[in-house]
Formats: sequence, structure tokens, C-alpha cells
Amino acid sequence: MSDLATPADSARSSSRHAGRHASRGPGAIVIVAAGLLVLFLALPLGAMSWRAIQESRGLTSEGRDLLWQALTLSVTTSLISLAIIALLGTPLAWLLVRRRFRGAQLVDTLVDLPIVLPPAVAGIALLMAFGRQGVFGQWLDQLGITVGFTTTAVVMAQVFVAAPFYVRSAKAGLLGVSPETEEAAKVDGATGWMVFRDITLPLALPGITAGLVLSWARALGEFGATIMFAGNFPGITQTMPLAIYGRFSAGDLQSALLLSLVLLVTSLVVLLTARTVSSRSAEDREV
Amino acid sequence: MQATVTMMQRVLVGVMLMLVVIGVAAPGNFAVAQTAIACVASPSGGPATPAATPATASAPDAVFPASGELTVFAAASLTNAFTQIGDEIMAANPDIVITFNFAGSQTLVTQLTQGAPADVFAAANDIQMQEAIDGGVIAGEPQTFAHNRLAIVVPADNPANISGPADLAQDDLRLVLALPEVPVGLYSRQAICAMGEDTSTYGEGFVEQVEANIVSQEEDVRVVLTKVQLGEADAGMVYVSDITADVSDDVEIIKMPEAVNVIATYPIAPVEGGDAPLAEAFIAYVRGPEGQSTLEDHGFTELP
Repeated sequence: MSDLATPADSARSSSRHAGRHASRGPGAIVIVAAGLLVLFLALPLGAMSWRAIQESRGLTSEGRDLLWQALTLSVTTSLISLAIIALLGTPLAWLLVRRRFRGAQLVDTLVDLPIVLPPAVAGIALLMAFGRQGVFGQWLDQLGITVGFTTTAVVMAQVFVAAPFYVRSAKAGLLGVSPETEEAAKVDGATGWMVFRDITLPLALPGITAGLVLSWARALGEFGATIMFAGNFPGITQTMPLAIYGRFSAGDLQSALLLSLVLLVTSLVVLLTARTVSSRSAEDREV
Repeated sequence: MQATVTMMQRVLVGVMLMLVVIGVAAPGNFAVAQTAIACVASPSGGPATPAATPATASAPDAVFPASGELTVFAAASLTNAFTQIGDEIMAANPDIVITFNFAGSQTLVTQLTQGAPADVFAAANDIQMQEAIDGGVIAGEPQTFAHNRLAIVVPADNPANISGPADLAQDDLRLVLALPEVPVGLYSRQAICAMGEDTSTYGEGFVEQVEANIVSQEEDVRVVLTKVQLGEADAGMVYVSDITADVSDDVEIIKMPEAVNVIATYPIAPVEGGDAPLAEAFIAYVRGPEGQSTLEDHGFTELP
């Protein structure tokens, strides 16, 4: 137990706990528990990657088309969703943090709801609102607009499930910016927009970046609401997760595996990029 | 307001640029190859490989062990009929517990070959049963226990004014089918191909026009029905047995002529490594008089 703990560990933990606990490194139980979870998370991903690499030989041209179509659609729709989320979510996060208004609590809770709701519920909710027989969908249908089975529906599903992650994180970022700093800039004659652009946004950037990454990942992985609300058609509504499920349903495990691997690598690249960017911006501020 | 380039603007420009790059890098890739209906030269309408032996009127009586747990993997179209059969068996044999896993037959094959524990597999097509046999997960010979037919369903208000199968080719129809790899999806395409051959009734280019109308491909027959029930789709193709009393208010049935209809064959078999006596008893019950009458109540057609 003690041989796992370096003196530095002990020193750190004792100074942090200010002598309330005996100065010891993490116990074996802590390490085993943490290790088990890491293993549990890593094992399936590793196994999947291993199988995917083994099966990647001899991918048909049809399989390549499917992969490319689904990947293009996924990247395009998730980036459009992300742009919409950032454009509408940033003002909402700012209002929720900086302004006290009636119903703020209610709005706050409402915005958090899609995080805890299963995507299937989101799918049904979207159908009931924007489906052809839905509350608004009926009007739209009379105007000749149908959203079901279109790429628009894919983006709507993604925005619905992913926006809360951005708003939450952006709020946390904005909370870290003291109103006094903003006031000071205003006293110096800056307009509201200039204050936001030059003071608030840069200071809240870590939270905003984290929010963008989180909601982008959620949009990219969106499955349940999309398949229920938007349907499943290659090139139009079949994003990567739907293509993976479709191939799995069709008994084409090889393509399903390969698509999964591509999605895994894509997500990994984005996560690593975001980490590099946010740590660099943190360094910039410290200088 | 100053026109300096802000962080936000830079991000937006970046997003736009990426979209442009994607648009340029993917020319012509939206030709949807795998949605094409490939009609085979001789669409006999029947299943490709008659692997299962037909049921006979003299099926052995179902003899259930005193107790046990049975897991049945069954095609989604069997959901209602098998749930009732399970309830009947459990009512008569209180110490037997039957659990069902309903999904598209193809999904079930994948699950079984990946090692999912089950005792009985009931598919909606001999092709999937054969795949399960090839995958080494079936013990013994599969037996046919039911037949089913296709029907076109439209929402109760029939938004596209469909009056017969020929209308499936009309412009801008929103048609939902199951994936071609799912039995009902295959049967639907076989029926469309059969219609396409009859150019005097359905006209030239029928298959291509119907193909262009497909807006979504679902993983099993139940989802196809739901999309029609919700009014999202103008039409869908499902099994006759799927149009139960629960949904008959929400959908209208468009009959398909016998000449182009497809008779679906349902094979059933014990799964390797499962509880063999219990599995055999279940299969015997399904193929026996009680099971057959329940299946008939749910719209499956009598064994020929």
C-alpha cells in the first residue's frame, strides 16, 4: 500500500487536508476502484478497435460509400447544430447569469431537462411538436413544409439534445467573470458588445470551449431522437450512429465495426484538439 | 460598432470553411447506392431457401417440464402473438418463466452469433434462420410454424390519397420500408419487383419511381407501422398480422393482389446450448393446435 505512494503524494495530500487525516497516499482500495473503472471504459473500446482493424480488410466500395456518406452527413449536421447552439446558446447563458428575471429558475430547469431525458423521449417530443400531425407540424404541413425525413430534422434533433450541454458550460464560464471587471470597462466607455467581446468572452472562454466540445460530441453521437424524428435514409438522415445501427441490424457487423472505429477516432481527435486549445488559452492568460 | 474580427466571428468562419471543404471533398457521393431495389430475374415471391420443414397437422403434443426458464428470440412481427402464447403457457405451467426478445430477425441473428443466451429462435425468413445455422447457433432442424402476407398501410386520413398499390409510384410520396436485410424489407421489395414486372397494370419504370419515394428504412416492421400511424409517412409496407385492433383506427389498409403478394415463411428452432426439453416443448406448442389458433387470431395465415 505505502510503496505505491510517493513522498510527494503524501506531502500533497497532507497539505491539502491540513492535518485532519493521517498523511498517507491513496489506499489500495482507491487505486483498485479507479483502475477497475478505467479498465471497464477502456476494454470495450479496445476490443472494438481490435476487431475493427482485423475486419477492415476487403471493405467493399459500397461500404466505403456508406461510410463517407454517413461521416459527411454527421460532420456537416453536427457543425451546423454547433453553430446554431453557439449563436442562440451564448445569449441565453449570458441572460441566465447576468440578469435576474421572472421565470429564470424555470428556464434554467427547462434548459437542463434534455440532459437527463433519454433521447427516445426527445424523439417523441419532437414528433409531437414538429411531426406532420404535431402541434406545430400541422401548420407547417399546411404551408407545404414537412421536416420529418429531412436533414433539417437531423439538425433539430441534435440541437435539442446538445444545446443544454453548451448552455450549462457557458453559464459556468460566464459565472467566473466578475461583474466588476465588466463594469470597469463600461466606465471606461466601452459599449455592451465591446465589453462582451473583449472582456467577458475571453475570460469565459474555457467554459465556452468545454461547452462547445461537449455539445458537439453529443450532437455527433445523437441517435435516438434522430432515428425516431428524422428517420433513417443514407445521405439524408443517416448519420454515423444510425448507419452503425443500420449495419448492425442488417447483420453487417464488419461495416458496423469500421464505422464505429471511424467515429471513435474522430471523437478522439476533437477531444485532444479541444484539450490542447483550452490548455493553451489557459497558459496565455497566466502570462 | 467596430468591425474587428472577433473570436466568435473567427469560429463561425472556421465552421463555414469546414462546410465548404466537406462540400468540395464529397462530390457526387450522395448517389444512394444501397437503397436501390435490386430485382432478381425470377421473383418467385417465395423464400430463397426452403430450409424449414413444413408443419403438419399432426404436430407432437407440447410436454413441458415442471419448471424452468425459457428465453425466446423472435422476429418483431411475432410480438403480439408470441406474447399471448407465452402468457398461455405460463398460465398453464406456473413454474415456467418465458422471456421474449423481439427485434428484427437480422438483429437477432447478430445477437445470437455474438453469444447472446437464448433457447429458441423464431425468424421471419428462412434466410435469417440459415444464417443462424451457418453461425453454428442452432441445434436441430428448423420447422415452419407460420405464414404471413404483406399489406400496404396508409395513415387513417390517407394524405397522399392512395387507393391501390399502383399509387406507390406517384410523385412525392413518402414511403417507409424496412431495411432490405430485414425479412419484411426483403418481402416488400420482392412485391414491388413483382408489380414492376406487370407493366400493363403498373406501367414502365414502376420500380424506379417507388424506389425514389423511399424516405426512410427502418430496422423492423413495427417501426414502419409506427411511422405510418404517426402520419409521418404517407405509406408503408407491413405484415397483415401487424395490423392489430390497437392500430386499426390509425391506419387504413390497402390490399395487395395475390399475384404480387409475398408469402412470408416463419421458421423456428432450438438454440445451441439452450434448455433443449423446454425449447422443444415451446416449439411443439407453437406448432400445435393452441399455438396455431393464437397465431391465426393475430392475422397469420394457416399452414398450407
